[in-house]
Amino acid sequence: MIGFFDRRWRGFRVVNLVGWGLLAAMILGVYLAKTMAWGERNQIASVEIQIRQEKLRIRLLEAEVAHLEQPRRLEALSAGALGMAPIGPKQEIALDDLHRFERQKPIPAPTLAEPPVFAQADVGAPGVAAKIAVAGPVTAQFAAPQVTQQ
Amino acid sequence: MTGPVFAPVRLPLAWRWLGSWVWRLEHAFERARAAASPHDSRRRIALVMIAFGLAFFVMGIGATHQALFSGNSAEFSGASASPYARAALTDRNGALLAVDLPHYQLYVDPREVWDVQGTQQALAAILPQAQAKRLNKALTGTKRAFVIGGLTPDQRTAIHDLGLPGLSFEDDERRVYPLGNTASHLIGFSDSAGSGLAGAEKALDADVRKAAVTGGSVPLSLDLRVQAALEDELRKAANQFTVRGAVGLITDVHTGEILALASYPDFDPNNAGAADPNALVNRVAQSVFEMGSTFKIFTVAQGLDSGTVRLNSTFDVSHPLTIGTQTIHDYDKGDTTLDLPHVLLHSSNIAAAKIALAMGADTVTGYYRNLGLFGSAPVELAESARPLLPQKWSQNVLASASFGNAIAVSPLAVAAGTAAVANGGTYVPLTIRKVEPGHEPKGRRVFSPQTSQTMLRLLRMNVLEGTGGKADAPGFSVGGKTGSNEKVVAGRIDRNKLVSSFAAVFPADGPPEAKRYFLLVLMDEPHATKETYGFATGGWTAAPAAGRIVSRVGPLLGLKRAPVAATDKATVEAALASGEDH
Repeated sequence: MIGFFDRRWRGFRVVNLVGWGLLAAMILGVYLAKTMAWGERNQIASVEIQIRQEKLRIRLLEAEVAHLEQPRRLEALSAGALGMAPIGPKQEIALDDLHRFERQKPIPAPTLAEPPVFAQADVGAPGVAAKIAVAGPVTAQFAAPQVTQQ
Repeated sequence: MTGPVFAPVRLPLAWRWLGSWVWRLEHAFERARAAASPHDSRRRIALVMIAFGLAFFVMGIGATHQALFSGNSAEFSGASASPYARAALTDRNGALLAVDLPHYQLYVDPREVWDVQGTQQALAAILPQAQAKRLNKALTGTKRAFVIGGLTPDQRTAIHDLGLPGLSFEDDERRVYPLGNTASHLIGFSDSAGSGLAGAEKALDADVRKAAVTGGSVPLSLDLRVQAALEDELRKAANQFTVRGAVGLITDVHTGEILALASYPDFDPNNAGAADPNALVNRVAQSVFEMGSTFKIFTVAQGLDSGTVRLNSTFDVSHPLTIGTQTIHDYDKGDTTLDLPHVLLHSSNIAAAKIALAMGADTVTGYYRNLGLFGSAPVELAESARPLLPQKWSQNVLASASFGNAIAVSPLAVAAGTAAVANGGTYVPLTIRKVEPGHEPKGRRVFSPQTSQTMLRLLRMNVLEGTGGKADAPGFSVGGKTGSNEKVVAGRIDRNKLVSSFAAVFPADGPPEAKRYFLLVLMDEPHATKETYGFATGGWTAAPAAGRIVSRVGPLLGLKRAPVAATDKATVEAALASGEDH
């Protein structure tokens, strides 16, 4: 142990050289670490600012959506532009009750002079015509809803 | 030649001490080297290494702790750092009701302004709301001065695009209510310093500020869809009957949650300062009314619950009831004798007074107290008003209170009291906070479940064949009671000024613990129309609106229209006739 402390290299104590070397490595390490950390920190800060701005934009958009979807505004638009009104009991139906409604009038005949090519091909397939007849147009099914009161 | 002779100088003690200390210090290393052994050097080195190691270790721990647990992470969490920041308010489904949005303050530095007149004209054109006097003062002053706050991003851009020197902006978060007038009385408003001044903004001020720190939001019990339907129908009815004011309220009778609260006329909380003071009044919470016959719900329930009357009890109503100088009349329906269900159906004042008198003041006031009618309604809203109570519960007062005179309470108090009748008999405080599913609020028992069940059937019967017929909503089994009371103006009863109301529960069928809601529609001074054949009473004004409201909000509340057979007249009458309840 004593030998190590007394050992010299070109007049310099080895222990001193090792110490200086370690110090230099530590300084360099700290410098590199801090430089990299500074870069990372900047990047994080930049991302965080971006997140904050995005959140702010989301807030603005949410507020704008809420403003545009004001119930009174929608009511005025739907009543004024579309002539709509709150639905009545006879216009409501629960999903479970859909099966109660049979088609109440025959499917109107196609008004097209010539049916589309794909329709011809479909109808020609076995069993397809029957399925189409059962399904019927949506408007026909809901022409005179009976509600659930029975 | 002899030189000058210097006498030896004796320095002061302090100087001598300093000199000897420096000398010892100079030679300390030599002395130590001479005296020390090689082992001492190693020991010293080891000690120094340990000391430095320890110091670095402690600093490392401190730095790590500071980095991980310093609490600075909130800086980037999206939460606002402003001390005035307020969290967003949402309805129970997350719809936005109130939010802080970025605005800007405009400052002028007159030292940089080249053209004072041109700047003044340009700013006045973009900002007509800016005070000319303040703008002029800022432009002609000597240092940077505030001109106006609350500028929107568009206004800021417009000013920025002018390219005028000396103008600068600073961030200024402002509270925005994107729904405008919708639910304005429940949401309330706050000032520019971030303090709640009315409604939920004031009631939940601490929660709103706390949530702003974490970037969260505060959900209210309000259901925006239900609120919209209530406001729409209430506004239509208010316009139809040209009322002075109107009230609409929907609560959950089991949780006490206020799902919708409407006071007509309303206001825009974005500009509350410019609102008509009459519109700022929250009539649901701040106003008290003599409710009239809706109080008979309490009277009949008390009579049944206390055992004073039974369903088959009969009352002679053929003659007015005279108590001292007061004479109590019924609306002339040609009645002579009424059983208890028909006391409610015909809204008999005479019979209600007889029930109250039979119970006595102690029993009646005991029930009123338990129903929360002797204090402000227990709810977070600071506006909740105290009732106007009689000083003495004489026979006259007792009789008058039985049909809703002599005691004036807020609609919120009526809601909480009626909910206790309809939910199985438990008085539950109202709340504007969202109650999580499964949470059962603490309440106090006022009525037995049997009384509650019987009252539900009586209220349903009143809609089927009594005064509340126009409130029926197909499939939702509405039960309720009308109320019409002449207002006292300048100490005298004014027969042309009514407070007309309808207090409803829906659905009224099913057991007391079934999902159920309370609705109150109240018109302050409604005017009769041709369609109402000159009547402005609750059955003609408030009840039809209540029916329309229930029909619209029922599906929104998850209620399914029941087949009529389950709620029809025969079923209710059969249940009452069976005597299974009382």
